Amino acid sequence: MPEPDSVARWEMVAGGNTERAAVPTADEQEVIQLFDELRTRLLRYLLSFGLPAQDGEEVIQEVFLALFQHLQRGRSRQNLRGWVFRVAHNLGLKRRMARSREAEAPDAARPDPAENPEEQLLSSQRQKRLQAVLRALPEQDQWCLSLRAEGLRYREIAEVLGMSLAAVSTSLGRSLARFSRADGY
Amino acid sequence: MPPEEGHLSDQELVLAADGELNPRRDAEVRAHLAACWHCRTRLRGLEGAIADFVHLHSATLDPQVPPATGARALLKARLTENAAVSKTGARHAWFIPAPWPALVGLAMATLLIGYVAITKRGERAVPSQKLTPGAVRNVMKAEVCSANAEAFVVPVALQRQVFEEYGIRNAPANAYEVDYLITPELGGAADIRNLWPEPYSATVWNAHVKDELEYRLHQMVCEGQIDLATAQHDISTNWIAAYKKYFHREFPGGRRN
Repeated sequence: MPEPDSVARWEMVAGGNTERAAVPTADEQEVIQLFDELRTRLLRYLLSFGLPAQDGEEVIQEVFLALFQHLQRGRSRQNLRGWVFRVAHNLGLKRRMARSREAEAPDAARPDPAENPEEQLLSSQRQKRLQAVLRALPEQDQWCLSLRAEGLRYREIAEVLGMSLAAVSTSLGRSLARFSRADGY
Repeated sequence: MPPEEGHLSDQELVLAADGELNPRRDAEVRAHLAACWHCRTRLRGLEGAIADFVHLHSATLDPQVPPATGARALLKARLTENAAVSKTGARHAWFIPAPWPALVGLAMATLLIGYVAITKRGERAVPSQKLTPGAVRNVMKAEVCSANAEAFVVPVALQRQVFEEYGIRNAPANAYEVDYLITPELGGAADIRNLWPEPYSATVWNAHVKDELEYRLHQMVCEGQIDLATAQHDISTNWIAAYKKYFHREFPGGRRN
């Protein structure tokens, strides 16, 4: 595929030094545009896995660099939002596994579950009760809820998590019914 | 909960609330809801549960989300770097001829000579400890980590002084950037002891890599993983060593140790 606007990205300047021309390629622009649109949603999703913010940010950098490579290789541009969430989901899980292996090392400090920062942020008893309901759900149901809360449609959720459409709607229906009962609706 | 006979399932109620039913079934479900108080009440319950989940999701996660500015700048720099690398790679990949060991040796020698020449002219990835030991403002962590940190621009007169100090007064202005050794985001001062001419030349340890380190250190300080003084010390002593220490990598973008 021709890259008309990247031909002159390096130019010679006086003194024989090369300097970067400040013209980003179309692929770079597209990646940055998607970053602007999705970064906060992705980070919230990764935080909901229990990843620390710094790890989440690193995963997101990896995701968008991978997206850039994906576009540079001329791969499919269909549903890039779903693609980005799928890669973030997979890398996030990998990162979390690596973290839990570190935590199992004998000298590593074990996080105290009572000191969970998320719980400290919850002011009311009601919120704490709902948090307990959420934590008791199977992890896949939690992922479905989080992805839906970040604005993904059922088809996209199915693609990110490798589930059928019917399984996504069953999962959401089941989880919301539990929430609803917990709150006495 | 399994629906009572003749009523809608939880799954169908959620599909209806989310506009995910096909038009025919959607019309049937709407008609049932209009007629059935029981299912309408359950739908309200599910809507309430959605609202509860959204509030919980935001209350627990939003306070942990830092501003995007630093991450965005870092991504932009990495993309530019990657674009340049892939372009160079694509252009020269086919060009490697057969007797490559001799040529690699020649290339290494050329690089070495180039490095010595560059170092002699004062262009170096790490500044002179004597001329640029680093200098800090009297700031606290809270100030450094506040979201509305101001932008710092080095005044032109001060930039000229830095060039003179490094003996490169007549160098083309667009070959260097006068950079802070300790970045202002970590409390670095706009002081000649904290500024040096950083070459734009594409070395491995270039300004983009230093930006990456600065961003990481800022994040670590603000998350309480290291204190501000340690970050200032490490970046001013040898920022390349600091990069290796905090990224656990021998080279930028390489694999972790």
